[in-house]
Amino acid sequence: MGQPVVELKHISKRFAKVLANDDISMQIGKGEVVALLGENGAGKSTIMKILYGLYHETSGEIWVDGVQRRINSPKDAMDLGISMIQQHFSLVEAHTVTENIILGTVKGKIDYAKEEAEIQRLSDEYQFGVPAGALVRDLPVGIQQKVEILKALHRQTRILIMDEPTAVLMPQEIDTLMTFVRKFASEGNSVIFITHKMKEVMEVADRIIIMRNGKISGEVRKEETDTKELARLMIGHELEILSKENAADDSKAIRLQVKNVSVRPKNGVPILENLNFDIGKGEILGVAGVSGNGQQELCEMLCGALTPTEGSVLLDGEDITEKGVAKRIAAGIGYCASDRFRYGMVANMTLAENMMLKASFLKKWDRHGLINWGAVRRYTEEKIRQYQIKAPDASVTAGSLSGGNQQKVVVAREADMGEKLIIFDQPTRGLDLGAINNVQKVILEERAAGKSVLLVSTELSEVFELADRIAVMYQGRFMGIFRPSELTTEKIGMLMAGVTPEEIKRKETEA
Amino acid sequence: MNNRRSVLSLLGWTALAFVLGMVVCFSFLPLMGVNAWEAFKTMFGGVFADTFTMGNILVKMTPLILTGLAFAFTFKANLYNIGAQGQFYVGCICAAATSLSLADRLPAPLVIALACLTSMLGGAVIGFIIGFLKAKFNANEFLVSMMSTYVIIYIMQLLLRTVLQESKHEYIKTDKLPKSVWLPKIISGTSVSLGIVFSIAAAIIVWIILYKTTFGFRIRVTGMNMEAARLSGINTKVEFMAAFAISGAIAGLAGFAEVNGMQHMLLTGLDSDVGSYGIGIAIMADANPIGVIFSAMLFGILQVGGTVLSHSTDAPASIIDLMLGFVMLFVLISFFFRRKTELARLKKKKAGEE
Amino acid sequence: MQSIINLLTRAVFMSTPLILGALGEVIAERTGMMMCAVEGIFLSGAWGGFVGAYLSGNMFVGFLSAMLCGMLVALLYGFCTVYLGQHQIVMGTAVAILMTGFCTFFYRIVFGTPTSPLKVNPLPVLRIPVLSKIPVIGQVIFSQNIISYLTYLLVPCVFYLLYKTALGLTIRSCGENPEAVEVAGINVRRIRFLAVGAAGILGGIAGAYYSLCNVGMYNSEIISGRGWIAFGICFLGNWNPVGALLFGIIFGISDAIGIYIKALGVSGIPSELFSALPYFLVIVLTAMKKQFNVPAKLGVNYIKED
Repeated sequence: MGQPVVELKHISKRFAKVLANDDISMQIGKGEVVALLGENGAGKSTIMKILYGLYHETSGEIWVDGVQRRINSPKDAMDLGISMIQQHFSLVEAHTVTENIILGTVKGKIDYAKEEAEIQRLSDEYQFGVPAGALVRDLPVGIQQKVEILKALHRQTRILIMDEPTAVLMPQEIDTLMTFVRKFASEGNSVIFITHKMKEVMEVADRIIIMRNGKISGEVRKEETDTKELARLMIGHELEILSKENAADDSKAIRLQVKNVSVRPKNGVPILENLNFDIGKGEILGVAGVSGNGQQELCEMLCGALTPTEGSVLLDGEDITEKGVAKRIAAGIGYCASDRFRYGMVANMTLAENMMLKASFLKKWDRHGLINWGAVRRYTEEKIRQYQIKAPDASVTAGSLSGGNQQKVVVAREADMGEKLIIFDQPTRGLDLGAINNVQKVILEERAAGKSVLLVSTELSEVFELADRIAVMYQGRFMGIFRPSELTTEKIGMLMAGVTPEEIKRKETEA
Repeated sequence: MNNRRSVLSLLGWTALAFVLGMVVCFSFLPLMGVNAWEAFKTMFGGVFADTFTMGNILVKMTPLILTGLAFAFTFKANLYNIGAQGQFYVGCICAAATSLSLADRLPAPLVIALACLTSMLGGAVIGFIIGFLKAKFNANEFLVSMMSTYVIIYIMQLLLRTVLQESKHEYIKTDKLPKSVWLPKIISGTSVSLGIVFSIAAAIIVWIILYKTTFGFRIRVTGMNMEAARLSGINTKVEFMAAFAISGAIAGLAGFAEVNGMQHMLLTGLDSDVGSYGIGIAIMADANPIGVIFSAMLFGILQVGGTVLSHSTDAPASIIDLMLGFVMLFVLISFFFRRKTELARLKKKKAGEE
Repeated sequence: MQSIINLLTRAVFMSTPLILGALGEVIAERTGMMMCAVEGIFLSGAWGGFVGAYLSGNMFVGFLSAMLCGMLVALLYGFCTVYLGQHQIVMGTAVAILMTGFCTFFYRIVFGTPTSPLKVNPLPVLRIPVLSKIPVIGQVIFSQNIISYLTYLLVPCVFYLLYKTALGLTIRSCGENPEAVEVAGINVRRIRFLAVGAAGILGGIAGAYYSLCNVGMYNSEIISGRGWIAFGICFLGNWNPVGALLFGIIFGISDAIGIYIKALGVSGIPSELFSALPYFLVIVLTAMKKQFNVPAKLGVNYIKED
């Protein structure tokens, strides 16, 4: 490698609560794709946000093209040819593609027609198929990502940082993205690819830098490593292997029945369409699919927040279709929502108060009409011990805990509230591997205790590992319900993309 | 331990902000030819000189605690009831009308109880309407409650000019309430009435509702995370309306306490600042119902002190608003620095641990 | 007929400060700042305008001082909310209380206690040659004061600024997704701070309009909620300058009707109800109108981690 394009020297970053980066040094060469691999919270995004000027280093130096630079703001970074695509896109949804791309690069009067034509030309050149005049909020996520890439191209970026770019993409879209990354790098540009998925790293990167707990734990060339070594560098220890006793048993009594359920907004596209399934006692039904295909709506329909326009829902034979959330909580349905921060907890309330959250209509902790906070606290502290939640006591706010511990709090609560059925929507998203292990263990324990579980996940490995049966969801419909043994990764990928089982069969016989 | 530290730091910063606000405000006095230091001595000497003036602090506090609570209650549901002034006036109108029309016909304690009830009911109705517009039409409650005050002010003026006007038809005010329906004085030698007991009791009850009942718990959850509330089976619209109705009732009660307890009549422009002071009080107390009592006391001291000052020196009465404004400004700014030092302390502590 | 023309003339006259204030609001709120200090800004403008004009004997100086006062108050508000991260609505109330005290106190400091109310001559009507001779329109639109003309010119200017220029794009983006703006290399807080300052300048002129154009004197009751109405107009007009113009005129008419009826002293309807009309109108319209186009991050402070 000749002179590195970017060199970070001994960078440390301290936030009020954590030391996010501890003495990080790295070099990025011209035409190179470098993967930054690590678990959530390892400090990958932080170090790159420092390079992009969004955060400021506590100590250390940044060198670009052999010259030491101070990058005070993204403006400085962009002037040096550095662009960063954030994990959560930085797009103004109410504005058009063109407006989003030229934001910050134009001055004075804007000639919208001319700018739009130029951006359309750029999009066509890369065969992105982005309509330059469309409003961003009308575009699917995959296209929105291309808008972000166009933004970088429009600014003549030569160092492109992408933060978890594949998290929102379908398998086919990931392939297109990888092709783009290779092509872009081959033109003499550099790409830094932040991810926590080892498979992608092996596919796209020239060099891999692994981070753990804010430090660099290893740096390897792709040819010289394998996923096993990467996993060890990433996690730092071996993981406990989960065991699931007894394969699915058809004789299990049916607990939840969903019959012909649809949710159709007035004169709109149906959100859920003609769902038919049941879950037995002690059974886990996995729901696979690309996120945004109606999984959240399915969960909300089951927990009572969304009323079906057609069909019925039965719990232990009792029709609960018309019952609202409060009544379904009382009936023993627990719901662990996908975005715990938004749907599952109140960050500014204490752990005890969060334990109380779903029980406000129940008499569980009632004493003479007032809340028996002492009992709630004792209960919470018991859960803290049981689930090994890292919190001093029940009086700290939920927001002060790390993501994994927050999730444990929510899981602990819902596992108890859901005496009959527990709905888990992406219960391990954004957790580190240790916490994932923990949560998956709880799910299996609850199954063993005879509860019914609906497990929504976008991680295929998780669904395959835990579920007794797997439903594949596409645009609000079930593409079919299968035993894990009936599915291959390839087949499930096609189902997730909307190919019907009949079509798959036809293709198989043709081949 | 942690809790005590944060209370102490809150008190320390607030005291500092108070001092700074006073210094800035008093530094303007020499422009009027008033010696600032003398004025300061006069003010605090005057306030604590006799029981009557000290009693006045309690008198001033009475409605302020209630309007402060009114704002704090909706604030906990992340709503903004800026219209406590209007709800206060509705309470005044109801209390005055009930007292004047029934004083001769029913036993006095019953009339007082009815006046209290109608004033709370009146305020609650106004509050409920605002909450209803918010829940049903997603109207901006901030704007609606603000505007409702002005509408009520004009309606009150109309009533005072017509049906409620005094028998002589000279001034825009009501007749004086018969002595029998006045709230009894509780401290001799002062004007302090039973109203202050109502206020402090209200603060305690609000605290119990918010922190000890599931109803208050739901209101707080709704305020802090509406989505989580929805998925916990809480009907957020009902919480909106309930929070606003209760808030209105508290502000209405302030009207009763003021009319039957202090003024013994209703006149135009009465206490035209209690609404906005209430907001300031609630904010300084971080919307804590018990804290509201103390920040209302601070406002009361400044009001009484300002009055003393304007009577005994050349300083105008407007110095009261100036003092309150500056103190509020500095208290708000101190919130920023308190948080900043807190974060810095945390950072240092963490660094030490590693 | 003549009375209707008079009424409309009055309506245009009364709508000017509301539109002016609302235009400032539009600019600031599009960056995500809920401008709750508007009542205090109006008051400071009314006070500053009067003091400046009375002491110098020059209207121009009066308006200049109003602009300065409005801007300073707005920047104080902006500093505490944008840079110190204080709650926008709460800060607005604090500013309102402070300005009530400040204006009354310093009026006294500057003028002492005059025996009769101090007055300046209200800003004269400036008849546009030729155009003012057109029947009806000539009187209603072209026989107003200079501030009215400038206000109406300002509407297309603000529209152009917001929708046709790079600065406008930045302003609108700040209110929708400040993180995206920051990532694009623009200093969000500076944009918000300056927009608040601009709103302060316009609000200052609007406030001075009440003291210098309407009555030619100052008292602490002079604004009494007019600032909040401008705030409401900005909401009702969907944060759009043209909407602000439209609703400004509607409120001008309701304001004018109130004054007119009172002056005539006719009809059995009490004048208080007409005075309450504009405020009541805001409530009804806010409840009736479906809100759209609301800046997504309106009222939310942009806090930079670090």
